Amino acid sequence: MSRRWQAALTAAAVAAVTGLVVVTYVPGPPEPLIGTISQAAVGLAFLLAGIAAWRRWPSSRLGLLFTITGYLWLLPSVARLPYALPFTIGNLMAPVYGAALAHLGLAWPTGRLRSRFEAGVVIADYAWNIGQSFVSMFFWNPRTNCSPGCPANLLMVDGSKSAENVLGVISAPVGLALTGIVLVLIVRHWQAARGWSRRAMVPLLWIAPAICALSVTQTVAENISLPFFNSRVGNLVLFGYAPLILLAGPALFVASTLLARTARGAVGTAIVDLESGAPPGRLRDALARALGDSTLQLAFRLPDGSGYLDTAGQAVDPARPGPGRAVTPVAESGDAVLIHDDGLEHEPQLVRLTAAAASMALEHSRLQAEVQAQLEQVSASRARIVEAGDDARRRLERDLHDGAQQRLVTLSLALGMARNRATGADPELESLLESATKEAREAIVELRELARGIHPAVLTETGLAGAIQALVERSPVATTITAVPAGRFPAPVEATAYFVVSEALTNVAKHAAARNAQVAIRKLATRVVVEVSDDGAGGAAPDAGSGLRGLADRVASVGGSLRIDSPPGCGTRLEAEIPCP
Amino acid sequence: MRCDTEAVTASAAILVVDDHDGFRAFARKMLELAGFTVAEAASGAEATAAARRIRPRLVLLDIQLPDFDGFEVARRLAGQEDSPVIVLTSTREASDYGGRIAASAAAGFLPKDQLSGAALLRFLAEGMP
Repeated sequence: MSRRWQAALTAAAVAAVTGLVVVTYVPGPPEPLIGTISQAAVGLAFLLAGIAAWRRWPSSRLGLLFTITGYLWLLPSVARLPYALPFTIGNLMAPVYGAALAHLGLAWPTGRLRSRFEAGVVIADYAWNIGQSFVSMFFWNPRTNCSPGCPANLLMVDGSKSAENVLGVISAPVGLALTGIVLVLIVRHWQAARGWSRRAMVPLLWIAPAICALSVTQTVAENISLPFFNSRVGNLVLFGYAPLILLAGPALFVASTLLARTARGAVGTAIVDLESGAPPGRLRDALARALGDSTLQLAFRLPDGSGYLDTAGQAVDPARPGPGRAVTPVAESGDAVLIHDDGLEHEPQLVRLTAAAASMALEHSRLQAEVQAQLEQVSASRARIVEAGDDARRRLERDLHDGAQQRLVTLSLALGMARNRATGADPELESLLESATKEAREAIVELRELARGIHPAVLTETGLAGAIQALVERSPVATTITAVPAGRFPAPVEATAYFVVSEALTNVAKHAAARNAQVAIRKLATRVVVEVSDDGAGGAAPDAGSGLRGLADRVASVGGSLRIDSPPGCGTRLEAEIPCP
Repeated sequence: MRCDTEAVTASAAILVVDDHDGFRAFARKMLELAGFTVAEAASGAEATAAARRIRPRLVLLDIQLPDFDGFEVARRLAGQEDSPVIVLTSTREASDYGGRIAASAAAGFLPKDQLSGAALLRFLAEGMP
């Protein structure tokens, strides 16, 4: 509804109510104040509820029904004008708002009647109210029970009161029967409703019996002469105060509009509350709560396009959602759909918002899964790179051992033999060969150290226990091994644990000024824990030297973690956790 | 060359097991000069076969062999009747093998660059009952 229409309708409503109030004060018999107030308040409430309904549910006829009811409620007041025509029309139309109320109740919450039978009931109600009013007008002479200044009844055929009394006997049972049928139908609507519709029915379920009770009481009061109803006070209560019950209708409607606004907020909250990576079932639950529709289904198109499955694994067909169900696509692609109570179609904003929220949550999950997959790929490739590096170093060490070292050893032995042969024969040659042998021996030692630095053969040959023993034996700081598992582990685990101890002991020797160091390696259920501690100066920081940084990277490459605890003056404790099944 | 290894003499007292031809040839020369009779084998399988045939008094056994390693060869030789004194050797140091040398069936370890007739004689003297 456009703003211009809203403004026009609002202006019309205000004008109508103002008219009513003005009409009340034209010269004539005094009207009790409460009557004027209830007339004005109820009429205005219905008209404003009509505008709100039009705004909230543009596709529903509820707005139109509220507006019609509001004007039908206000119209009889024109009877107070001192002219015959408005007097006649006002009195003729006085009971018709009752039919409009029944219409509104039966059409709640969509504005549409559910069956031909119900349409028949509504038509019968309008027809009965108007027909009955015409008949009474034919026989009603206002001058007999109204003040003599009353305008004339233009419809009067016969002024004798007998006919009106005869009609009254039929009038009461038919009116009561119609009221009863409407009430029963409303209760049955509520029983049949599910999800959003059922929630939307709740205010009506409270207000309909109250209005019906009022209607019944008024009918009874008009037809049976009871002392209370004939008294001035009784009249005031029944036709002055009691109609204020009708205010509850528009009021509850506006309250439910506010609740729906809360529901829109709830959609956002539901999505915010949904922790990242939650399964689609949890998303469905959150959306169902937000929409107030427990029957909500979130369905996804199968990858081969052959159909849809909901989050419970049930096959669903969005083309045929079933009776009382409606489909809203979550994304334009239609890869995911919401299947919900069709009453929600009258909350297009809420449903659109929910679909958008679902779309965002799903997209978020998809992106997260993508990032996770990329992260896993990167982690795996990092592990492969480190492993390939280890392999290359292992091969390099072996090649050195098989080639250059082997030849150098042979050369050294040959020089030694030559020196032995030259002994005594030529002192100069002997000393030359002596120094050549010494050079060769030193070359062998240096090459051996180099090879060991490239990759420790002992790790390949004997595993962690032997390799750590060898490291500790070469460490210049007195180091004890408090625990080391005897078995073999996957090569990346052994290599990582070895490099942790090797780097840690190198640091102890270089920086810690420690007297003692300890190494402990323990195999736990899912990991190997390597711990190296010393009693030195402490103050080591992971980012200070590239050694520790590189070590942390190395441990991370196999999915492990490195922790350094090094308070100044209190030694250093380095702990690496390496995943190992 | 591997085909040489079959030409072993029945009276060989020392079996040199190494897949490195140059070292094997040099060790043979050196040990023969020192007065030993020398036979050669280039792999673990050849070593066990040759040992069974020629019953050497000492086997100089390289740890790294193409088929199975020196520790395994030592285990098999030790299981033979009248088993020889086994001396493991490598261009690496004993510490590169952790406790495996001590745990093996070998009498000891001699770094390759310290090979000499005298060193082997010491092992023979220790290994004799």
